Amino acid sequence: MNLDQALISGHGITLPQAFSTGGETAVIGMGIVFSVLIILMIVLNLFKVIFYREKKAEPAAAVTEPIPAVQPAAEEENEEELIAVITAAIAASLNTSTYNLNIKSIRRVSPGRPAWNRAGLNETINNRF
Amino acid sequence: MIESFANFLGNTGAAALFQNGGPDAIKTIIMLAIACVLLYLAIVKKYEPLLLLPIAFGMLLSNLPMIKDSSAIMMHTEWFTDTQYMIDGHINVGMIAREGGLLDLLYLGVKLGIYPPLIFVGIGCMTDFGPLIANPKSILLGAAAQFGVFFTFIGALVISALVPSIAWGVKEAASIGIIGGADGPTAIYVTKSLAPSLLPAIAVAAYSYMALIPIIQPPFMKLLTTKKARGVVMDQLRPVSKTEKIIFPIVVTLVVAFIIPDAVSLVGCLMLGNLLKESGVCDRLVDTAQNALMNIVTIFLGITVGATATASSFLSASTLGIVALGLVAFIFSTCGGLLLGDLMYVLTKGKVNPLIGSAGVSAVPMAARVSQSVGQKENPSNFLLMHAMGPNVAGVIGSAVAAGVFLSMFNGM
Repeated sequence: MNLDQALISGHGITLPQAFSTGGETAVIGMGIVFSVLIILMIVLNLFKVIFYREKKAEPAAAVTEPIPAVQPAAEEENEEELIAVITAAIAASLNTSTYNLNIKSIRRVSPGRPAWNRAGLNETINNRF
Repeated sequence: MIESFANFLGNTGAAALFQNGGPDAIKTIIMLAIACVLLYLAIVKKYEPLLLLPIAFGMLLSNLPMIKDSSAIMMHTEWFTDTQYMIDGHINVGMIAREGGLLDLLYLGVKLGIYPPLIFVGIGCMTDFGPLIANPKSILLGAAAQFGVFFTFIGALVISALVPSIAWGVKEAASIGIIGGADGPTAIYVTKSLAPSLLPAIAVAAYSYMALIPIIQPPFMKLLTTKKARGVVMDQLRPVSKTEKIIFPIVVTLVVAFIIPDAVSLVGCLMLGNLLKESGVCDRLVDTAQNALMNIVTIFLGITVGATATASSFLSASTLGIVALGLVAFIFSTCGGLLLGDLMYVLTKGKVNPLIGSAGVSAVPMAARVSQSVGQKENPSNFLLMHAMGPNVAGVIGSAVAAGVFLSMFNGM
């Protein structure tokens, strides 16, 4: 862009200059921001077409199954036991029966604090004993 | 004995305070007082304390009274801004490395554009683009919320034309406008390239207003939306597969690089962090990037940005103008997002809650939380948080692109 020296130094800008340069930059700038993000939106819509359909077959089975059943069928004995325990714990904390609950999925969340932080906390707790 | 004692007295900070006469001493005292006020805001009011506290203390350190040319001076702002210390308009890295104080050396990381991208790696590790991938149209709200950036750019040029004591050119106007991106590292990255003398004022304004988002946004959210629209419950987001989450950062980096290469150092680092996280094979690196690395860089960035606040650059009409325009930038960015949200509400026949538009300003996750809480006031069983996270993370990409636009237009002028 070719700009008047006044617009670069900031000394002696006139009002029409401010509006015309500012307006021009604003239009170009918003145009570029929108075009980048619109392209990303198109890409994301393609994602949905490419990746989502093939997934639909699997989750459909996985989702419908747990709804009638109280707990999803788990492959391992241990896991089933764990799900039962978690269901019971939720039921107890909600003051209701496990029959009123539909556990659709249980996900392990990563611990919120870093390892050093956790170690420090454990140490502090142990020191207070 | 007496002579050496007198010598010692002459070298104290108290003596240094008055070496240039009364007016300078008063300015120094005012700067120290401002630093203390910012410390109060950070510690007692908890305004983004993780950044405001280092910034305020950096300001305190660099404004302590020092004898001229003393080796105890930690920060020589003039080496970075005054052309007489530079070689061909570039900073004299050799001299800074040989003679600089601690803060001079750390400030090189800001001046050379190292810290903001590193912070973006950490932010990328903490960002979940899932809600955005699930609802692609919400990315447009992140673009609309950059409206304040460009509106303020015009505003800054107009003020510069009207007020004789303020001389902002396009570079200064761009640095002030980018406050409206509500993204601290991006604002710092643009300002250090285009208008380094405004850096402390812009950083303080950007981080203070980010902390004030829960106060600034709600009135405009209520003003620009109808009661019915605020109560809209949006459809649940579709599940997003791991493959999509892994491909997304790679695609974004490529798209941004092909269109606006100046935004790549920010967007590329953001996406690197995100890919580290989503790949699931770099847990140790993710742990370091989002905790240790990010915290270290935040300390370096905060303290050095604060240290650039000298009385001559900070105590001026221009700082007041920046504080005022920063607020304007935030308000117009919020409104830009909300108005597009309203449009989407109409076009989708009431499926989009316009409140998620205001989350298009980047400040993650604060702006999304504000959408959630305002929405919940209208309809207590409504959970907008995940829907608002889409525009929110899109806003980070949007403001980095806006930064790239300014850099490609005005850098090197």
